[in-house]
Amino acid sequence: MIVHEVIVKNRAGLHTRPAAAVVKLASRFKSDFFIEMQGVEINAKSIIGVMSLAAPKGTKLTLKLTGEDADEAARQLIEFFEQGFGEQ
Amino acid sequence: MSLDQKGLKKRSVTVAYFFENIGTTHDIKLRRLNSVDEQKRRIFERDLHRPGLALSGFTNLFTYKRVQILGNTETRFLNHLGEEERRQAFDNLVRFKVPCIILTSNNKLQPDLLEMATEQGIPVFVTRHSSTKAIYQVTDFLDDQFSLYQQYHGSMVDVYGVGVLLIGKSGLGKSEIALDLVERGHGLVADDVVVIRRKGESMQLSASRNNIIDHFMEIRGLGVVDVKANFGIRAIRDVKEVLVVAELLEWNKEMEYERLGLDTKSTKVLGVDVPLVQLPIFPGKNITVIIEVVALNVLLKRYSNYVAAEALTDRIKQVIKNDERTEGEIVL
Repeated sequence: MIVHEVIVKNRAGLHTRPAAAVVKLASRFKSDFFIEMQGVEINAKSIIGVMSLAAPKGTKLTLKLTGEDADEAARQLIEFFEQGFGEQ
Repeated sequence: MSLDQKGLKKRSVTVAYFFENIGTTHDIKLRRLNSVDEQKRRIFERDLHRPGLALSGFTNLFTYKRVQILGNTETRFLNHLGEEERRQAFDNLVRFKVPCIILTSNNKLQPDLLEMATEQGIPVFVTRHSSTKAIYQVTDFLDDQFSLYQQYHGSMVDVYGVGVLLIGKSGLGKSEIALDLVERGHGLVADDVVVIRRKGESMQLSASRNNIIDHFMEIRGLGVVDVKANFGIRAIRDVKEVLVVAELLEWNKEMEYERLGLDTKSTKVLGVDVPLVQLPIFPGKNITVIIEVVALNVLLKRYSNYVAAEALTDRIKQVIKNDERTEGEIVL
């Protein structure tokens, strides 16, 4: 399992559109993808799950990936988080 | 499946939170007797304490971290002492960092003692309830606050009054089944994100929704659907006990599925055993109806202790036992 910590960087936080974008990106891979925030873990292939975090800017999130393509999935997802989901 | 996540627990609540919220869910009214910073005091456990022994001077093993209840006995004990002794006795209580003191049955605290509590920053409240009733209400409130909880990926539906938790990998159609069940008159508790709580030592699991998501769900290809707006108040439920877990599995030739229903499986959720039904799914299979039957089976088992597979087993055993057939004859 790949475990990696990221921080929400964009001003508006992990709201509806970024949540959908994260799930869309994750769904391209076979690996299971979970996000943990303050002890609560959600299935990050579920839009509702990701949105339920309502993570504001600065939140620490732990990304967890398992599966055959976890390495590539982690690389792309971490990059997407680092870029603030392409938002300001 | 991912039901094995460890339960979480609030570590503490502030006395300010306790004071402001207990009245909204529990039948008890507290009145403030002094003004101290209630944000600074925290309650760490559900149990309460009546500090009789501490007041009398024995402070070994004094559970000072608990909410302290002063009832008739404690108040009378303090009142029967002389002024100096009284202050000494009360000092045995307030020199510890107690979260707060609650006077029950409208008991009064001498002004000099109240001042000692205030100096130490200890909030003092009073209620008209008797100690027994106050202790019940406060413990119940704290039990709620310190209950074990966790958020799970799945759908929770009330089917014929039975709380069914649907789990399974993303994309297997849990939300679609939940929507189908709602359409057939059942009630949605939560979709995709289910919050489950276990209160105290109870074996009951209460499932509810995540407050941000409310009764919204995502249907692939459609987007976000508001079940309450679309189907009305009858289609939703607030809290429901988890009585059975239905796990959806991708059809797999290699795997053996239950054929009889004689051997029931179970799974642990927050340390509680819950019956588990594993359902293989494939295109064209009507899972909704099967979920309804799962719920009806729970009711049958509960109210009549009836299990279809056992009933059939009994019938077959009976026929074999009373066998008067000539050889090779078949029963029609």
